[in-house]
Amino acid sequence: MEQVGERESEEFTLVARKPYFDLPTACPVCLPLFIYLKLAHFPFRLSFNSIFPDSDQIPYVESGTYVAYNNENGGVIERLKQDGIVDLDSEFHSVPDWVTMKAMISSWLADAMMYELWVGSDGKSAYKIYYSDLSWPIGKVLFLKQSYSVKQRLGITKDNAEPREHEIYKRAKIAYGALSTRLGDQNFLFDDRPSSLDATFLGHVLVILHALPETSVLRSKLLEHNNIVRYADKLKMELIESSSSSSGPQIHSVPSSSTPKRGPSNGSSKPKSKPKREKTEEEKKFKRRAKYFLAAQLLAVLLFLSVMGGSDADDMELDDEDEGIVYG
Amino acid sequence: MSNLDSVPDLTPPNSKPDPEHQTPFSTNEIDEEDDDGDDENDVEDDEEDEDEDENGVSGGPNRPKPHSREARFRSEKLKMDSLLQRMKTGPVSVRIHDVIIKGNTKTKDHIIEAETEVLNNVGSMQELLKASQIVNLRLQALEIFDSVKITLDSGPPELPGTANVIIEVVETTRPLSGQIGAYTKAEARSSTVEGSLKYKNLFGYGDLWDGSLAYGYDHSAELSAGVFLPRFKGLVTPVTARAYLLSQDWLTFSSYKERSMGLSLGLFSNQHHEVTYNLAWRTLTDPSQMSSRSVRRQLGHNLLSSLKYTFKFDRRNSSMRPTRGYAFVSSTQLGGLVPDSRSLRFLRQEFDLRYAVPLGFYHAALNFGVSGGVVFPWGNGFSSKPSSLPERFFLGGNISPVCALGGPTTLWGFKTRGFGPTEPKRRVNNENANPSGVDFLGGDLAVTALADLSFDLPFRWFREKGIHAHVFACAGNVTKLTEFEYRNFSVQKLVESLRSSVGVGLVVPTSLFRMEINYCYILKKFNHDRAKTGAWLTFSSAT
Repeated sequence: MEQVGERESEEFTLVARKPYFDLPTACPVCLPLFIYLKLAHFPFRLSFNSIFPDSDQIPYVESGTYVAYNNENGGVIERLKQDGIVDLDSEFHSVPDWVTMKAMISSWLADAMMYELWVGSDGKSAYKIYYSDLSWPIGKVLFLKQSYSVKQRLGITKDNAEPREHEIYKRAKIAYGALSTRLGDQNFLFDDRPSSLDATFLGHVLVILHALPETSVLRSKLLEHNNIVRYADKLKMELIESSSSSSGPQIHSVPSSSTPKRGPSNGSSKPKSKPKREKTEEEKKFKRRAKYFLAAQLLAVLLFLSVMGGSDADDMELDDEDEGIVYG
Repeated sequence: MSNLDSVPDLTPPNSKPDPEHQTPFSTNEIDEEDDDGDDENDVEDDEEDEDEDENGVSGGPNRPKPHSREARFRSEKLKMDSLLQRMKTGPVSVRIHDVIIKGNTKTKDHIIEAETEVLNNVGSMQELLKASQIVNLRLQALEIFDSVKITLDSGPPELPGTANVIIEVVETTRPLSGQIGAYTKAEARSSTVEGSLKYKNLFGYGDLWDGSLAYGYDHSAELSAGVFLPRFKGLVTPVTARAYLLSQDWLTFSSYKERSMGLSLGLFSNQHHEVTYNLAWRTLTDPSQMSSRSVRRQLGHNLLSSLKYTFKFDRRNSSMRPTRGYAFVSSTQLGGLVPDSRSLRFLRQEFDLRYAVPLGFYHAALNFGVSGGVVFPWGNGFSSKPSSLPERFFLGGNISPVCALGGPTTLWGFKTRGFGPTEPKRRVNNENANPSGVDFLGGDLAVTALADLSFDLPFRWFREKGIHAHVFACAGNVTKLTEFEYRNFSVQKLVESLRSSVGVGLVVPTSLFRMEINYCYILKKFNHDRAKTGAWLTFSSAT
């Protein structure tokens, strides 16, 4: 009971949002990470958190006391690369095409996805993915809050709604075209080897194809590219459906060779934060001491007033009781 | 109208108004304010003025008046004496004919009438006097009147043996009041400073509105507004409703922050029973991103809809320094009262039993207490689900166990959330072998026991101020039962891992709080427990 972490120090767990629409996790941020780990044949458990839709910490990967959050170090995939746990992109960083494709997917396609989920399809799919496990009043309020925030982020106002939509769809169309050309007849986008780009793009495509309604404009634009649809279906079958049929609830035993990879440090973030942390700790200690001093002074004054001055109040109350009802 | 001739409550203006004679018929509530004093003085002044007018002119047509007035008063006094004599020997039957309410311009009549219901059943003079006193106290308790004066008048002459009750109220001229105080909130387990503004009788229904801002020692802040209705649509007991916004920071102890927005309704409340309903939207977040696995799993939003029933039986002579008597409190909270299965479902039960034995010398008393609590989720798959983190029992804090009546709260010598099941926090730096700390997760089952011997010090100055000393011992434990841990549970293990401490200290009661300066010696603790042997300061206020 005392040290719960030790038991699971070897197992990695991916905590993502809930499964829906025939996808292992229907959230467009969580699905790429799931696919990435699957592409790397990295064994992990899948666990869900469906009560925190507005958290940017989810998805995260944890093992014992180690956690890689989505909102740190550029994302979970980047963090896992830095910590040497799993890395599919070791040879692609220098390829300029790869970098630009990555930028395009994480900007244009991400915007298009966000727009379509929250604004384009009236948010019905988004509600099912994010808020269906929350009690109705809370879900409704959070949904409205998020819809508003998405519109802010995409710069959509009443006046520019249509031109903005047009621009988003146009960019998505260009991106799909480029990616379709890049993909061609291959199994993967680059060098016929899986990379994090495949994971991100595949995640995007699967959510568009399965989570959005058939009337969705973005979905119809995607369906124009048969090779992308084929690529998505094939990989979905390989990674998602085959693994779920073979080994039930995705519990795999982790080979011990994975643990030494966690040796290297966390990179550049550590040295910078150390001196800052020490400084703030000193400041904290000083502030705490000052607070205690002030509190002690205040307490002394209060005590003096209540103990010394309090006796008068007590006497008065006693008199009042005496003046109460006295029967002749 | 109070007719000077027939009203039996008039005292001869020559004699100084003697409370012994006057009060049997005129129950004047004496408050801290001087208003009642003024009332009395006013009456006296009127009488004296009249008297002076009459006495001032000697001779002439006025001369016969003083005599007849004196004679009249003497006969009234004789009547009163005989009445008192009759009352001493046996019940003097009297019926209430009418209850007249005066002085309320804003307050609705039915609010005042509701408090006078007890007058309807009186059959004798003695009962009438008692009932009048009760009515007076009840009206005072509404807090919307500056003064309440009840006068008994004889009924109409054609109906002998009847009396009229005249209630004169003076509505408060200053409806807005503010106060700052120190309290101990049981949920927060720590002292809080609270500033509140109160507005009395806004709509004339005896409604008390208040807004308050409270800040707690454990980094909790609460903003709330509430209303208290003494009579709501015919309900027997007053109804309170409170909307609140609460934020609690548990980052250093358990790596999470709690923010709650909700509504709390007091449905029924009397001396022994209390039922409240709470509807809240609660969010747990971890901005530090350092939490342990169990806490991470609980982060998010939850809807809390719960009903709480508290039974309280307190026969001790004081809650700040109990020297005699016993007390028992049991509170049951059932969460998940909406048909929505996604809301928080749990059952929480806690009890507290106290017994104080006076020892005779030096005003000494022995206090025993035992308390326990258990929380468990319910619904599908409840045995594998964890209990909700904020609902668990966390023991430790800077309040005194003697004063905290209600459930297992703390042990002397242990810091806030100082012991119980722990889990290591997130490891940030791989190279660093030292763990970054642990999160205190609280437990599903908690038990505490205390024994406290308090006695006066042999110095008169201390005794006058109420400062006394005490020697104490306590023990307690917190353990987890959910997620199949109940299979590993055994009473023997619970007893073996009991934490305990003893100590001695000085108790300083002040009008705001009860302060203890203790020296605690920790007899038994485990790794990660935040306890220390040494000097401790605790603050408690009346619950």
